[in-house]
Amino acid sequence: MSSAFDVLWVEKYRPRSLKDIVNQEDIVKRLMKFVEERNMPHLLFAGPAGTGKTTAAHALARDLYGEGYKQFVLELNASDERGINVIREKVKEFARSRTPPGIPFKIIILDEADNMTSDAQQALRRLMELYSASTRFILIANYPSKIIDPIQSRCAFFRFQPLKKEDVVERLRFIAENEGVDYEEEALETIYEISEGDMRKAINILQSAAALGRVTVDSVFKVVGMARPREVRDMLKAALDGEFEAARTMLRRIMIEYGLSGEDIVRQIHKEIFGNELKIPEEQRVLIADYLGEIHYRLVEGSDDDIQLTAFLAWLTVLGRHAS
Amino acid sequence: MTRRLPWVIKYRPKRIDEVVNQDKAKQALIPWIEAWASGRKPAKRAALLYGPPGVGKTSLVEAIAKEYGFQLVELNASDYRRDVDIKRIVGSAARKRPLYGRGLIILLDEIDGIAPREDAGGLRALLEVIKETENPIVMTANDPWKEQLRPLRDAVLLVEFRQLATGHIVRLLERICKAERLYCEKDALKYIAEKSMGDVRAAINDLEAVAEGYGKVTLSLVKALVRGRDKSIDLWRTLNSIYYAKYAWQAKKAVTSSEEDYETLLAWLNDNTHRKYKEPEDLYRAYDALSRASLFLARAKYRGHWSMLSYVFDLMGPGVAFARVKGQVARERFSYPERIKLMAQLRQVRETREALAGKLAERILASRATIKREVIPFLTAIFRNSQDPTVPARIALGYNMTREEVKLLAGARAEEILKAAERIRKARPGEEGEKAVREERQAKPAGLDAFLGLGSRGGIAPGKGASRPQRSTRRRGRRRGSS
Ligand SMILES: Nc1ncnc2c1ncn2[C@@H]1O[C@H](COP(=O)(O)OP(=O)(O)O)[C@@H](O)[C@H]1O
Ligand SMILES: Nc1ncnc2c1ncn2[C@@H]1O[C@H](COP(=O)(O)OP(=O)(O)O)[C@@H](O)[C@H]1O
Ligand SMILES: [Mg+2]
Ligand SMILES: [Mg+2]
Repeated sequence: MSSAFDVLWVEKYRPRSLKDIVNQEDIVKRLMKFVEERNMPHLLFAGPAGTGKTTAAHALARDLYGEGYKQFVLELNASDERGINVIREKVKEFARSRTPPGIPFKIIILDEADNMTSDAQQALRRLMELYSASTRFILIANYPSKIIDPIQSRCAFFRFQPLKKEDVVERLRFIAENEGVDYEEEALETIYEISEGDMRKAINILQSAAALGRVTVDSVFKVVGMARPREVRDMLKAALDGEFEAARTMLRRIMIEYGLSGEDIVRQIHKEIFGNELKIPEEQRVLIADYLGEIHYRLVEGSDDDIQLTAFLAWLTVLGRHAS
Repeated sequence: MTRRLPWVIKYRPKRIDEVVNQDKAKQALIPWIEAWASGRKPAKRAALLYGPPGVGKTSLVEAIAKEYGFQLVELNASDYRRDVDIKRIVGSAARKRPLYGRGLIILLDEIDGIAPREDAGGLRALLEVIKETENPIVMTANDPWKEQLRPLRDAVLLVEFRQLATGHIVRLLERICKAERLYCEKDALKYIAEKSMGDVRAAINDLEAVAEGYGKVTLSLVKALVRGRDKSIDLWRTLNSIYYAKYAWQAKKAVTSSEEDYETLLAWLNDNTHRKYKEPEDLYRAYDALSRASLFLARAKYRGHWSMLSYVFDLMGPGVAFARVKGQVARERFSYPERIKLMAQLRQVRETREALAGKLAERILASRATIKREVIPFLTAIFRNSQDPTVPARIALGYNMTREEVKLLAGARAEEILKAAERIRKARPGEEGEKAVREERQAKPAGLDAFLGLGSRGGIAPGKGASRPQRSTRRRGRRRGSS
């Protein structure tokens, strides 16, 4: 910890080579085979968040092409690219660029591909065909069922499993030792329980808890609470206590202070509803989730953030009053 | 016959405390003027006083000038529509030294007229003048939320004036009656005040008209003579017609005959319904109606189902009107939608958040959406709660974060962390760790400059910061420190 600059540990401890990837043995073995043969089909990596999909794609490319691998890789993220036309242009451009020595193809990593509409995926399928001579796609998705069949049938499929407890704890211990973190063994298990096999989350929790001091079971819970603006909880409480005006003011403050969108806030509220910090009768949690779902739907349809959430708070005020 | 002064002029407030029922506006405006008076130019060189007509905007500026010893130079901005005129006339006043007193206040009254859609040049000229002015510029407007005024809104101190409460207007009218030795029935004054809908100028004019004609002011006279103000159905009236509607068609008509677009009207309803309805159940029904109105509007807009608009009207008008089942309409004053102010601020934080997410996405290898959801919350926790400020400071350096980004993550702790970062950087220039990180990510020095306040991004005037780096750094630091 003596360096002047620091980065997030999820970045620092990302395995650079296939051999450093924890768990996922079968997958790693098959991928290493591609490296050995210097050939591969299109690949589809599917599985929950933080299980090493993106890591594996980059590690594979590095193992294939060596240190300067990035020049032979086009990284796209379907959630961030503006539509299939942009993707098409980038792919076209990339296909024209220099080919790596000794390997007849370049790699296109298309992350979060399940966020593409099925129309866009159809167009993608045509792209995969068009450039199959010189490129290989690695498609990454959380939910493989959202990838259309014609694409699935063109890819070798890899299902990533949530990481097992001993793997996560082992990795956390390794990082903690390396960073000189003072920790309680039990805390690492708690981190695993909370992160449910999502390594990105586990490492983020470890780093945040370490920033508070000694990593203990308590500090882990504390930091997980901190990662959600407590103002969201306060806002819900105010509304349930009949303080509609106060809740409304808090809503605006949250929007400004954290730059959250309506959907971000809905997501935060959703976490709070089933969290244990919000003390309300159990049956109310379901009612709230139900109405929140309705509000979420209205937001997704493009209606106004502020109006929707204000309506939600007004509804909560009534609910709170009936309960008391 | 001696020529008499119209009462609105004769009874103009002469002192600040004679401008009644505008305490919030005073609290915002007076410290700003005091800063000028003491020779410290505030960050915003112009103020925009906004609110409906006849609520004391011009009066307050005049009273302030008098009490603080400023010379008031009043220019009617809507006379100079052309940008060259604005530059010449307003610009020369802006540079002028005062003939007497502490300084000049330049008053541009009713600037609503200055920026018609076709003619953005006038506004641009005005913005330039504001940037360079040596004297405080105060503007007034009825409706500052017109899209074309957006650049102006961002550049000025916004001061809201609300319509006056009926009671305050009645007291002002009573004072005039007394001074004029006029027989006035209290109920008559109340009637005038109510009909004026918060516009004092209108109320005083009505009073004068009745008094002039009949020498006394009684309820039966005013009922016969004073009609509601015939401002073509404006917002205040639209809102009132909705909140007080007896029949569904009245409420619907109020919406459909309003000159405002539906989004503006929705924003007004969203920000005023909670002032008017106080029963939780009424409020819930009203906001749920607005929420559905907004949903139907989205369907109309984004999917081209324009026939859905009809339901938007139903829900905004009758939906809100008949949501009130239990309570009375409260007597609170209307306010301009904060939301529109909010949107401007929101735009800025969201841009910062987006930029930070983009930066992190490249390095953490995930989408911006994932970064916002999974990573930024933990960064926020580290920045706000770490025991040692150098921990977040090193991370800020590691990701070339800008001041704004650090502020977003750290909230109140931003200064402490920025200072720590500066100390670290000074103490160990070009050290190993830095080099390693830089190589790893193909460093972009521009970000680092911006971080230290040296770059053009985030400077007070885009493009200017780079040429005067020292100055902009210092100034920005100070402003933050004092806020
Ligand atoms: N199998 C793994 N072995 C080691 N580290 C992992 C593994 N999976 C995830 N990680 C850690 O979690 C972070 C996120 O992993 P990533 O590959 O981006 O997940 P995703 O499956 O969501 O693409 C990585 O930076 C790495 O630090
Ligand atoms: N808040 C107020 N307190 C006292 N008098 C007021 C107030 N607002 C308006 N008036 C009266 O109404 C007249 C018009 O006010 P003015 O300041 O010109 O309104 P605006 O500039 O907001 O349109 C003034 O001459 C004054 O007599
Ligand atoms: Mg990923
Ligand atoms: Mg005026």
